[in-house]
Amino acid sequence: MAVHTTTASRPGPIPVQAGIGLRAPHYRELLEWRPPIGWLEVHSENYFGRGGAPLYFLEQLRAHYPLSLHGVGLSLGSTDPLNMEHLNSLKTLISRFEPGLVSEHLSWSSVGGRYMNDLLPLPYTVEALSHVSQRVARVQDYLGRQILIENVSSYLQYEESRIPEWEFLAEVAERTDCGILLDVNNVFVSATNHGFDARSYLRAIPAEVIGEIHLAGFSVNRFDQGELLIDTHSRPVAAEVWALYREAIALYGPIATLIEWDTDVPPLSVLLNEARKADQILERHVDQFLEPYDARVA
Amino acid sequence: MHALRRLQLAFAESVFSPADARIASRVHENGLDPVRRVRVYHNNMFVGLTAALEAVYPIVHRLVGTDFFRFAAKEYIRDHPSRSGNLHCFGDHFGEFLARLPSAAGLPYLPDVARLDWAYHEVFHAAPGARLDIEGLQDVPLANWGKLCFNLHPASRLLESSYPVLRIWQVNREDYEDDPSVDLAEGGVRVLVLRTRLEIAMYPLSPGEYAWLGALAEGRDITRSFERAYAVEPDFDLKACLERHVIRGTLVDWHLANHDELAYQELLPSSTRAQCAEGKSPARRARLPFKGVEGRI
Repeated sequence: MAVHTTTASRPGPIPVQAGIGLRAPHYRELLEWRPPIGWLEVHSENYFGRGGAPLYFLEQLRAHYPLSLHGVGLSLGSTDPLNMEHLNSLKTLISRFEPGLVSEHLSWSSVGGRYMNDLLPLPYTVEALSHVSQRVARVQDYLGRQILIENVSSYLQYEESRIPEWEFLAEVAERTDCGILLDVNNVFVSATNHGFDARSYLRAIPAEVIGEIHLAGFSVNRFDQGELLIDTHSRPVAAEVWALYREAIALYGPIATLIEWDTDVPPLSVLLNEARKADQILERHVDQFLEPYDARVA
Repeated sequence: MHALRRLQLAFAESVFSPADARIASRVHENGLDPVRRVRVYHNNMFVGLTAALEAVYPIVHRLVGTDFFRFAAKEYIRDHPSRSGNLHCFGDHFGEFLARLPSAAGLPYLPDVARLDWAYHEVFHAAPGARLDIEGLQDVPLANWGKLCFNLHPASRLLESSYPVLRIWQVNREDYEDDPSVDLAEGGVRVLVLRTRLEIAMYPLSPGEYAWLGALAEGRDITRSFERAYAVEPDFDLKACLERHVIRGTLVDWHLANHDELAYQELLPSSTRAQCAEGKSPARRARLPFKGVEGRI
């Protein structure tokens, strides 16, 4: 099995460039070809096993690329007890791979022990804000490091929500010192689905807490009455989302940006082309370049 | 109970049973029927978990076709909801579920094919095994050989079926191009699924070999394991079997049983159930310091 790479030889923090989501069909090609992509991101849970091909290839690739761990299953917003087995697996993975960034979602996915394995929206209430902030703080304490929290796409709004999502998100960061992973596609999808202004959302998030941006493709579900955009990660980034991304970068300055593509995964070259587009936008704002986002270690 | 918890419980009910309107009544219409909005989450869950099952059970999928697989998956998701944020844990009861599913009764071998798919999946993610310390083994005095216990590779699983499921599994792989016919009259099979480095192989086993490895996996020493093998296969060749599984990498660690251990072995269940995170093997390392007469395999 793979010999653990020494810490010293591994690339460090996530650079302010475009990265791509690492998916199994591209393992060998990336290793053989090693294209000049800024960094890689994986879904943490895909590497919770104890051995085998996933960990073997991640170990190999980690020697060549900065890495970000992105969790989809911690169920941060759930009112069930925090899943310590899950959190322990994440902690083990962090100590093994030394990622530049670690992120989770502002959502919940389980209750009463049943997991729906989806990113479910929270009601934006004072109670939910307090609950999710406590959970983020506990996770950061347990992991001994800062995490980033990502806004999700949603297809409904609860009547009991009292706080706009952007204020809720910014307030969680304010209360817990976590960073924000701003998914520009999700902002666009939710803004379209619920009829709010995506630009107001962007303006409400302070640039200094954004550690990473996500870009992905959505699908459209048409109904008799209307339509919903669905965050499927199965298509190229939409033109409207590129436009919103340009505005975001003009507003915040360059920020490390990930191209996500999880279903109907295309050839690697398609992902690299999408990443190149993001890099071109980042380079245009290089004069606004400050410092790479440095995840604070508690 | 707090409002957030009540909302989440109501949401989950509606996601599992879309006819349940409790959450829809608390959702803004905003141009689209709230029931429609909630149904997106219902669909997301069933599509996502069905895809997870398809990934783990490719041979079952191929045998029953997409329509039946989706029907079975839907029933399974309701009966055995996911219990983990790690999707690789989902589906561990699918074989037992298929065995009880009336509409699958026409394919009596299907549950065992599912168990083979699951064994492959578990072995794919299991821990790497250590290399067997053969030099140390050679220092064990012959008098103590009967007390040798071996640990099986963490990425190994044993499986027995009354149907030729190994053949069924192999001819239904996507890359299989040879003669696809299977003779069900061929009868049952015992299989070792083993990953060494990144390669996963499936080996047919003789009845004695299967009993022997099963006994070793339960922590029994070589004497007691041999007794099990001999009971089902009178001409069981221990030496050849031991050699084969050392070379193959099935056996990764050894120690000498002590007397306490021998007493407790009798309390062990006759089979150990694999867990999602890691197959729980009775991996004891109470190695005793023996020196003396050379023993060879």
